[in-house]
Amino acid sequence: MLVSFYLNDVKVTYEVKPGEYLANTLRSHGVKSVRIGCNESTCGSCTLLVEGKPVMSCSILTASIEGKHITTVEGIQEEAAKISRHFSNEGADQCGFCNVGLALVIYALKKEYKNPTDEEIKNYIVGNLCRCSGLQSQVNAIKAYLKEE
Amino acid sequence: MKVNEYYRASSLEDAYRKLQEDPKNVILAGGLWIKKIGQSVNALIDLSTLGLNKISENEKEVVVGSLVTQREFENSKVINSLYGGAIAFATREVMGVNFRNIATIGGSIMGRYPFSDVISGLLPYDVELEFYPNQVMSLEDYLGYKGKLNSILVAIHIKKEKGNGFFKKVKTTALDFPIINFGVSKVNGKYTVVVGNRPAGSIRATKAMEYINNVANPSELDYKKAAEIAASELAFMDNKDASAEYRKELTKVYVKRGLMEVNK
Repeated sequence: MLVSFYLNDVKVTYEVKPGEYLANTLRSHGVKSVRIGCNESTCGSCTLLVEGKPVMSCSILTASIEGKHITTVEGIQEEAAKISRHFSNEGADQCGFCNVGLALVIYALKKEYKNPTDEEIKNYIVGNLCRCSGLQSQVNAIKAYLKEE
Repeated sequence: MKVNEYYRASSLEDAYRKLQEDPKNVILAGGLWIKKIGQSVNALIDLSTLGLNKISENEKEVVVGSLVTQREFENSKVINSLYGGAIAFATREVMGVNFRNIATIGGSIMGRYPFSDVISGLLPYDVELEFYPNQVMSLEDYLGYKGKLNSILVAIHIKKEKGNGFFKKVKTTALDFPIINFGVSKVNGKYTVVVGNRPAGSIRATKAMEYINNVANPSELDYKKAAEIAASELAFMDNKDASAEYRKELTKVYVKRGLMEVNK
């Protein structure tokens, strides 16, 4: 079946299987920034934004996003670079596998909350697992990023 | 997941007709559980254009469309205004934001998952389920219904009453299923106690409720007694997450705490 949607504001139309998941569709079309980790709706590595909201792309069917706007990290490059700098400053990452999904979640957090508390930040990023670094250094990096503007 | 057809329903009538065509045709809610169990499906029926993603209210009730996501539900001002925010809080305990932006309230209910925080969060209240075609059933009756109901859940009706609520999920890590969960309410002066994931599904502790509702001015000792009754009347089992004995002890602690909390 054919499905059309907006990928970082560019309309695309792909031939997909009815049971195909968005992460697989995007990766098969070269969007390798979408990373599949657990592939069980848990780790959050595959997170991207659908209509501005973070979702796990390993668990959302491509057919269900007909006409919607999808944002991957390529669509928020400037913000992702800022987030990356703060992560580096705080020692909040190591292997970097989870960073792309996390960057998109942090970007969505910034859009949704004006002045989030530590608790709100933790609750927002809890669905993005990081096996290398610590949650506290990530929270510190996020707070620094949110203060930037 | 193997799916033969993705069907975009044009109306509820159209969706219902498609659902009856083949026992392997299923309604798509969030789709998370279908993925989890790798279910083989003939046709996935998409209801997303039928306007089932809205929350509305009138004087008597709040009406939640079955395709409202868990995230929309927990952030709704209307839902947060009910019973001290206990229902919204229960949903907030499910996985992460990126999960709850997919999972729907209707999907959580229709699956009757024994681990469901959404169900344990709603069961202490007067909640009715509206199905297409022409069927209304209380949440409690639906949970006890034997067999598969081949209708379409359209909306969840939550009665607006004066009262307070409590919800507690006991879990090992932030993203775990509950070891056990509890919902307690005091609505119009009457207590309701719910225990879920024992690991069997959410159920009202009727003997404990009967006891505490018949005490004129309950004290802490009465709450303790009611919690002990709940722990003895319900069946608990062992699984990889916890033993039956541990769940029973948790019930004694959290039912008492819940009864005290709803009196504040």
